[in-house]
Amino acid sequence: MARVYVSTVVNARNDRVWARVRDFNGMPNWHPAIAESRIEGGEPADKIGCVRDFRLRNGDRIREKLLGLSDYDMFCTYSILESPMGVENYVATLRLTPVTDGDQTFLEWTAEFDCAPEREVELVGNIGGGVFQGGFDALKRAFGG
Amino acid sequence: MPHVVRSAVLNAPTDAVWNVLRDFNGYNRWHPAIATSAIERAQASDKIGCVRRLRLQDGSELREQLLALSDLEQTCSYCLLDTPIPLFNYVAHVRLLPVTDGNRTFWHWEARFTTRPEDVRPMTEMISEQIFRAGFDAVREHLSEAA
Repeated sequence: MARVYVSTVVNARNDRVWARVRDFNGMPNWHPAIAESRIEGGEPADKIGCVRDFRLRNGDRIREKLLGLSDYDMFCTYSILESPMGVENYVATLRLTPVTDGDQTFLEWTAEFDCAPEREVELVGNIGGGVFQGGFDALKRAFGG
Repeated sequence: MPHVVRSAVLNAPTDAVWNVLRDFNGYNRWHPAIATSAIERAQASDKIGCVRRLRLQDGSELREQLLALSDLEQTCSYCLLDTPIPLFNYVAHVRLLPVTDGNRTFWHWEARFTTRPEDVRPMTEMISEQIFRAGFDAVREHLSEAA
């Protein structure tokens, strides 16, 4: 099983960062790779089990299911139902932890998945270095560091 | 039960920070509140269950027992056995996580304890500031001296 771990520090309190990322239907508002998103069946975006159907700027379509969301622990876990990426059993978690020393936020984004062995390095690089770090870079810009 | 949580980001890789923190008998080398440290019964400082006897700068003594240590997770847990101040059932956890963006370290330090109601605030303040926050600053300084 392949594993991705990417983490960063954003220069804002965790409640402000969480307000930006907790909306399972809100990725187009902060992630530069996501063009549009909708929740299937008109369900609320914080209903566990809801499915988001989004389109990337490169035209790819991905459907993901919300598995867990906690406003108390500030994490969100989801799985991929359908994507052109060639991954199976993909589960990812985005987690926020306060940095009390300086009112910052520590963000971790992890994923585990199965894939063809020869594609593992490429996929880990694209997901970690591209999608996850790309989102972190956008958040850092939005919160000034 | 009072719960103190402090965290900081250090400008060094987790391996460098863990190298300092994993020595349960080495806190006197960096923490400003601690004058001397010794492990009882000549046990290794990474033997689970070993007890360290700390003498603080003010001359008071306390004993702490190592409950857990993981080089894989870079975590450490310990409890207070004897102390001259009103802290009971004190258990603390140290955890390091990598900040891959910049090869830095996120250091999470927390403790739970019981005490008399009138001592909750001063004890919380003391742990938070004089032990945890002072510890972050001291390790930062320790690492920059070593560099």
